[in-house]
Amino acid sequence: MNATYLRLEAVRLLRNKRVVIFSTLLPAILVLIIGGVSVGNDPDARKYVMVSMALFGAMSAALSSGGTIAVERGLGWNRTLRLTPLSPGAYVMNKVILALLVAVPPVVVTFIIGATVLHVRLTAAEWLLCFVGAWLSSLPFAALGVVLGYIAKPDSVQQVGALVNLVLAAFGGLWVPVDLMPRVLREIARFTPSYWTGEVARSPLDGGHVDGQAILVLLGWTVVLGLVALRRFRVDTARA
Amino acid sequence: MLYGMTNPAVQLTGLTKAFGAVTAVGGVDLTIRRGEVVALLGPNGAGKSTTIDMILGLLRPDTGTVLLDGQPPARAVARGTVGALLQTGGLLPDLTAAETVRLAAGLQRTARPVGEVLREAGVEPFADQRVGGLSGGQQQRVRFAMALVADPELLILDEPTTGLDVESRRAFWTTMREQTAGGRTVLFATHYLDEADAYADRIVLLRSGRIIADGTAAQIKAAVTGRVIRATVPGADLAALAALPGVDRVETRGDVVLLHCNDSDAALRGLLTTTAAYDVEVTSRNLEDAFIALTAAGSAQ
Repeated sequence: MNATYLRLEAVRLLRNKRVVIFSTLLPAILVLIIGGVSVGNDPDARKYVMVSMALFGAMSAALSSGGTIAVERGLGWNRTLRLTPLSPGAYVMNKVILALLVAVPPVVVTFIIGATVLHVRLTAAEWLLCFVGAWLSSLPFAALGVVLGYIAKPDSVQQVGALVNLVLAAFGGLWVPVDLMPRVLREIARFTPSYWTGEVARSPLDGGHVDGQAILVLLGWTVVLGLVALRRFRVDTARA
Repeated sequence: MLYGMTNPAVQLTGLTKAFGAVTAVGGVDLTIRRGEVVALLGPNGAGKSTTIDMILGLLRPDTGTVLLDGQPPARAVARGTVGALLQTGGLLPDLTAAETVRLAAGLQRTARPVGEVLREAGVEPFADQRVGGLSGGQQQRVRFAMALVADPELLILDEPTTGLDVESRRAFWTTMREQTAGGRTVLFATHYLDEADAYADRIVLLRSGRIIADGTAAQIKAAVTGRVIRATVPGADLAALAALPGVDRVETRGDVVLLHCNDSDAALRGLLTTTAAYDVEVTSRNLEDAFIALTAAGSAQ
């Protein structure tokens, strides 16, 4: 990690608010529509929807934050970085931390809407755990975003990112609970990191048993995607 | 010192790089001593940028090695002993000029005070403006400041003045000169002959991925075109003149003889001591002629 770089990346983030605004707006609208209208007055369903949408927001934010790397590569910024002592590990770490920062506002806003508009009632400990769960669950998506930023071209990264985001959200059971899915889809769901993030983030709602397997799976995804990102940073030196 | 003072600043051995069927660099051997200011001169497509990318470790050579102060490029970059200014892009438009240089300083292990570097590179007047709004010349100054921030021993510039207007080019080189006064080694690629002639101690001429000439501007001119001695020699013995050391060919125009020389100094000594020659004039073609002669030879191949 490099403190100067991270600080200036945060400055850039505040200057281009687009990523933060969009990744906050979408889950906010969805939680109002699905939580407020679709599921009716069932308090448990509303909790489920609120946490799922917070997760979805954190995931989208983390993904699109990494996606900005495609644009930076298009500008030749990575060649510039390659001429400094910045290590690939520090670079990927910076980008992942940045993605985690971007993932905070959607979770906060979704929870505020949940508490005020949807009248979701949780204990302080449940709020805190749900927040930490939803927020930190975006970790594998932060790494995935960095990988996407390397695979996609600057002009297509938004579309590719949006598609990945939708597929992961849908198959991971963030919009429709996995339990309501047909068996085949339930099996597919288990292969998405988003399914496991849901398990972790919602666990405080079902009595607080955090699934150890889910945490391991998410860490596994993070490590593997992080290594891919590292490798991409190392080999990507092409001229803009 | 950890690394010996005797290592050359840059040592390229048998460097080749092909992109598919196209050979970009076809066997380059080059040694640059410390403190030399070397121009890598050649037309577009001669392999200058490919060579520079390999020197900086941004491209892996197909064969051959690059040593910077006896170390592979990645080590030199990690130690901050090589600073580079690349041709285009490479900047974030949403940071200010000062932030960009501060970031470059923050990524180095040791860096000079940013304020000082901003002043030296001429970035100060627009330091607080966003990079995206700067002119080409101003952006180039930002890149230059980034290249200088670690106080590198070796400075590599890839066509630093391409796309700049005449005034910005001159201003850039004035700043450059001040920076090399301290004995820094500089390698710059250019396709501007006048820049190579004016700012380099040594010119390495690259054509189709090979070095075709290497020396001072004067040596290159002489090597390619030779010099011509023009003199009036009453009753000249053409065979004797042709036999003088350094003379390739003799022409006569009445009493005036033209000696086409490969070594005009030796020819001149012989001419003045063995004949009654007077009104002696030595001329060489300018570098532009040499360059055109060389690159035309390339296109005829």
